[in-house]
Amino acid sequence: MTSQLAAVLPSWASRRAAAGFLVALAALAVTPALTDVYTHNLLTLTYLSVAGALAWNWMGGFAGQVSFGHATFFGLGGFIAARLLLVGAVPAWVAWLAGGLAAAVFALGAHPMLRLRGPYFSIATIGVGEASRVLFTYWEGFTGGASGLSLPVSPDLKFQLYWWALALLGVAVAGSYAIRRSTFGLKLLAIKSDVDAAADAGVSPAFHQDVTLVLSAGLIGLSGGLYASYFSFIEPNDMLGFDRSISFVLMAVIGGLGSILGPVLGAVVFVLIREYLLASYPQLYLGLYGALLIAIILFEPLGLTGLFLRVARRFGYRRPRPDLALDASAVKPPAGAAAERR
Amino acid sequence: MPLLRVEGLTRRFGGLTAVESVDLEVASGEILGVIGPNGAGKTTLFALIAGSLAPTSGRVWLEDRLVSGLPAHRVVRAGIARTHQIVRPFQNLTVLENVQVAAFTGARRRGGTPTALAEELVRTTGLAERAHDYPAALTLAHRKRLELARALATGPRLLLLDEVIAGVNPAEAQQLAALIREIRARLELSIVMIEHVMPAVMSLSDRMAVLDHGRKIAEGEPAAIARDPAVIEAYLGSSAAAEVGAPA
Repeated sequence: MTSQLAAVLPSWASRRAAAGFLVALAALAVTPALTDVYTHNLLTLTYLSVAGALAWNWMGGFAGQVSFGHATFFGLGGFIAARLLLVGAVPAWVAWLAGGLAAAVFALGAHPMLRLRGPYFSIATIGVGEASRVLFTYWEGFTGGASGLSLPVSPDLKFQLYWWALALLGVAVAGSYAIRRSTFGLKLLAIKSDVDAAADAGVSPAFHQDVTLVLSAGLIGLSGGLYASYFSFIEPNDMLGFDRSISFVLMAVIGGLGSILGPVLGAVVFVLIREYLLASYPQLYLGLYGALLIAIILFEPLGLTGLFLRVARRFGYRRPRPDLALDASAVKPPAGAAAERR
Repeated sequence: MPLLRVEGLTRRFGGLTAVESVDLEVASGEILGVIGPNGAGKTTLFALIAGSLAPTSGRVWLEDRLVSGLPAHRVVRAGIARTHQIVRPFQNLTVLENVQVAAFTGARRRGGTPTALAEELVRTTGLAERAHDYPAALTLAHRKRLELARALATGPRLLLLDEVIAGVNPAEAQQLAALIREIRARLELSIVMIEHVMPAVMSLSDRMAVLDHGRKIAEGEPAAIARDPAVIEAYLGSSAAAEVGAPA
């Protein structure tokens, strides 16, 4: 690591990964020149889903707290942004950002729930999710109730959303790597493995989960705002519905819980299935997710990522050891020391 | 001033009193052995001192700082670390990463970088060759060393060892005992150790305390403890105590 590029990179990013990331972003940024409007919009939606799945994965995959209530943040961000867009006093990106911030602040309210672990936490999130959905449905002054809110339709903005969504995707991917490769992420994995032992190692479970949830909720809230602009119409039962919460879980689990590639693959597959099956076989698509989920839990707990790695190993790929900024030779004791200890 | 002072520490679980008004003091640099029959409340006592459990009543001071009532991670940052009787490694992290998680606290307390501290402790505890393995691949003796390394990585002034030696074969037990001695000398720690392996705890401890049914029934030099009638009664029953009399 001698080049100047390496000097500006944080310790969690390798040069190769950063270069690949930038090339991929650049490629996707010029893709619209080659696609029709339909594909253009489908890609926008895919990016939003990928970003959402990655953000959900911070809490569900890294910290091990599986939330069935993330639609709350999505809906809150969406409605705050929509209201601001309706007032029309601020640029769209400010409205989206405000939605994300509101969701992040709201996430702090979940603090008391974070002492719950495993299924207890999940059940509590279902409660919170459904309660907010009902609240938003009855709060007509803010959300328009069951008939929802219509935003002014703007084809230009919808076209531009592609790059906003792509930017959000970039943030989500970079954020995922930053968390996963940082000391913060290491502590999250420790908490996921054994919360009491983590506390005994000096890690504050409450603080780390709070921060993670705030980041996760903020990004999901942002994506909710973009989503509101995308459809120009939102209503509480869609934005905050249980289906929405489940979709985040499904995307991450189908792809591979706790990995980074996983939620990306999972979200892409999820959106494609929905896009092509929902139109022709509306009854079938939920059944297909169910079947997929059962198959994954039974055969490949790491989801599509696990499948991917299995195939990659066939072709001679070896997974790099997950060590942190450290080469093995530094750990080996001097030649005499090991013998002496025996 | 003693490093650790425990006053009237009590913990009830419903109708059961697991630890009943226990007083303890540990001097700087001392090794205190805690023994007692199964269910005597030894591990509960550790959980109370380490903040994993809140006491029903009583207080714990680390020098002049009141640590009872603090959550576990704050007690660790104050300078008390514990190992677990049933080893609890982070299964999803390598040996080195396991130690690193704790080393963030140690580096904050003692200076240096977490990585350097973790590497040093992995070497000290004899795990260097297993640094990149996952805990599932380790033998029990190595996992106990990992528990020890992780506790040490928090840079403690007081180390609570919960049966680190029990359950491994005699040769490994001797190595672990030697390791504990070495650590005490090198890192200038005080240690409280719960142990069932009598020869080990007798030879390591400067002083011993005996718990039975949650109460402290004896305290003193290892040799005196071995002769104490109350201790013999707790372990072997009252008739045995009478029969044995006062063994040497």
